Amino acid sequence: MPKPFGHLLLVFVVAATMAGGALAQSGGTLVFAAGEEPETLDPQRTSTAVTGLIMRYAGDTILTKDLSGAYADGLAESWEASDGGLMWTFTLKPDIVFHDGTPLDASAVRASILRALDPATQSPIAGSLFAPITEIEIVDERTFRIHLDEPFAPFLDNLTDPRGAIVQAAAAAELGVEFGRRPVMSGPWRFSAWRSGERIVLERNDAYAWGPSYTRTAAPSIERIEFRIVPEAATRVAAFEAGEVQVVSPFPVTDVPRFLGDDRFDMVSFLRKGVGRFMELNVLVPPFDDVRVRRALNHAVDASIMVDVVLEGRGIQAYGVLPPSIWGYWDGMSDYAPTYDPERALALLAEAGWTPDGSGTLRKDGVPLTFTVLSPPFDDAVRTAQIAQQQFAEVGIGMQIETIEFGTLMARAKDGTHQANLMGYTYANPDIVHLWFHSSNIGTGLAHSHFDSRELDALIERSRTETDDADRLEAYAEIQRFVSDQALWVPFWINDNFIGTSASLAGAVVHPDGFLLLNDATLD
Amino acid sequence: MLPFLLRRLVAAVPVLFGVSLLAFSMTHLTPGDPVAIMLGERATAEDVARLRSELGLDFPLPVQYGSFLARALRGDLGTSLRSGQPVAREIADRVGATAALTFAAMGVAVVVGVLLGTLAAIQRSPVVDAVIMSIALVGISMPTFWSGLLLILLFALTLGWFPITGSGWSGLVLPAVCLGLPAAAVLARLTRSALLEVLSQDFIRTARSKGVSASGIVAHHALRNALIPVVTIVGLQFGTLMAGSVIVESVFARPGIGRFAVNAIMARDLPQVQGIVLFAGVVYVVVNALVDMVYAAIDPRIAVR
Repeated sequence: MPKPFGHLLLVFVVAATMAGGALAQSGGTLVFAAGEEPETLDPQRTSTAVTGLIMRYAGDTILTKDLSGAYADGLAESWEASDGGLMWTFTLKPDIVFHDGTPLDASAVRASILRALDPATQSPIAGSLFAPITEIEIVDERTFRIHLDEPFAPFLDNLTDPRGAIVQAAAAAELGVEFGRRPVMSGPWRFSAWRSGERIVLERNDAYAWGPSYTRTAAPSIERIEFRIVPEAATRVAAFEAGEVQVVSPFPVTDVPRFLGDDRFDMVSFLRKGVGRFMELNVLVPPFDDVRVRRALNHAVDASIMVDVVLEGRGIQAYGVLPPSIWGYWDGMSDYAPTYDPERALALLAEAGWTPDGSGTLRKDGVPLTFTVLSPPFDDAVRTAQIAQQQFAEVGIGMQIETIEFGTLMARAKDGTHQANLMGYTYANPDIVHLWFHSSNIGTGLAHSHFDSRELDALIERSRTETDDADRLEAYAEIQRFVSDQALWVPFWINDNFIGTSASLAGAVVHPDGFLLLNDATLD
Repeated sequence: MLPFLLRRLVAAVPVLFGVSLLAFSMTHLTPGDPVAIMLGERATAEDVARLRSELGLDFPLPVQYGSFLARALRGDLGTSLRSGQPVAREIADRVGATAALTFAAMGVAVVVGVLLGTLAAIQRSPVVDAVIMSIALVGISMPTFWSGLLLILLFALTLGWFPITGSGWSGLVLPAVCLGLPAAAVLARLTRSALLEVLSQDFIRTARSKGVSASGIVAHHALRNALIPVVTIVGLQFGTLMAGSVIVESVFARPGIGRFAVNAIMARDLPQVQGIVLFAGVVYVVVNALVDMVYAAIDPRIAVR
């Protein structure tokens, strides 16, 4: 039977030749490994991070943030507030066009925002970014005024979100859902092709001339960006090592040491924009209806051990609800927060009526102090929970870990019948505290502590309506102290995020919002 | 042959009905509200209610099932909750890649499996037999995500013969080998035992006494008889291969139905999940009917029975 072998050999040789060809990247194509495939490329109809990432390159927002994190020009070259923050006037840069050649002027911006706000669009995120807008008034071709129902400080931040990128609304209306498969935007790269489950390709927009002032404003040097969909982390790393992809973001932490010091690759790291892991305590149910028990838990945990073990040292201990990597973080938090102090924990618990029995278990009226924490089925969450479990056991608190699927966890945390749950978040804006703690988000948003307090609500509302930055910072500092005093969370850690890039990529900059800015980048 | 074919087709109807009922009900039994997930954290109760009514999720379940079935019969599998695209088109976009992978893997399985099984059966060295059967045991036991990573490590990363990701024929080789090897191992063991049994039968002795060459006996007399159970297993393995494509498509970053299914389940995209389960069920039923026909072609007694 020589024939099958003959064919196999032929397949082998052909395949090997083709593989060799694929390895030699053409100079102008940058291949990104994406862990998931977008459900749509319509920025107004998505909630996935990967669409947001692609929109960083294919889309433009009204404003951007520069490399220091300060608000900077985007499509608009200037902007100013009046009427006590109720009215914002924006002036667009001249001669901006969408990828289909139609002008991106004030009325195009208005049409795009109105589309996001239209309930028919069913926008999961973009709609809420623009939600405070009551009216968009067109002054002239390049100038428009946005009216808000009340002063809303995070508003400018919302305008920098890639899900708020301006879309060609007329094309969107014409294409219907098909717009999500071939969006018409205005960014430095234009949409070129999408092969389902395989890759999304962007091509350079040669007409581009309106880039932000802190980077190259003209068309970029890289000709094509290809997002290759590689769901397996191990495969992403192997493809990176083989040179098939040039960017892996986020790069799996466990593989980082292998690539450090290898001059074919660059690893950049930055502190996560959010708290990686923390425990939320539900104040509606015992034992966490007593603030002393909640504070005792905070004193019973030494999170530095979690940083060493779970993160292998690649990150820092968390002290509050905001990380140092987000504007609004209060510098005094690490001194203010409860420190690891088992004696203090025991004293607080004794005050609350929990005293150790002969075996060291804490009891009150004969009932042992135990609770169940819901953990999502992620390795880092389970390991963190196990360390906490051991540390709680040392002071006599029993904790059971119930590992459940994330959607179910969210549903149970929302309805408030659980005792505690593990969570983590990423969000570039301190307004996240509204979602975690404002009473309007109990049962609907992320207020899993179910803590209903007028005082905290007022503080959060102040942080949103205050237009002076110093006053807002003070409001956020008070919120952080308040949540720490009430011990609604047990904060654990904030991890470093890594982006791996091939050394052939030069001039790429990590933006403070955690993505690679490629306008100035070149490929060997 | 024709009545047999008709009988097979009629028998498939209740099976397909069961599959559709299963596809429909399983998505209603899993926890979590797909509409709430779809609308995100900031959705109000009114938003959720509105979308539920738009999607027809507020009708009684039997009514929902009836309309689901009626549309499915017209080839309309509904619209994805997330992408807004017709599910039938989304499946059509990906089915080619999964079909290519499954058939290539089946090719690897049959060629390698029958070849090794025959070799193990006809040669007289117990050492060769033991080696081949040990390889088969390893092939059956090794999970595909593990063998996939090993194949990547050796043939893509170290030797650089094949790409790790990517489409085209070169990108198909490693995934097909990875997916096909466990099935090849099953077929090798089966071919060996079936062939050994056939080779000990009277008609083989007759053929030998008539002076037919050893290779002639295996090729023309023994293999044809030994292949009947093999064909059955090939049909059954087809389902296993389709299921295995979920993992292999993920490891090798290939597009396809398997990965599409996983994403749909993760995102609770009800119409997508229903569409995929229904589609996979139909494919499975059709393949089994085909296998029965091949079976009948090899062994005419089957159709008569």
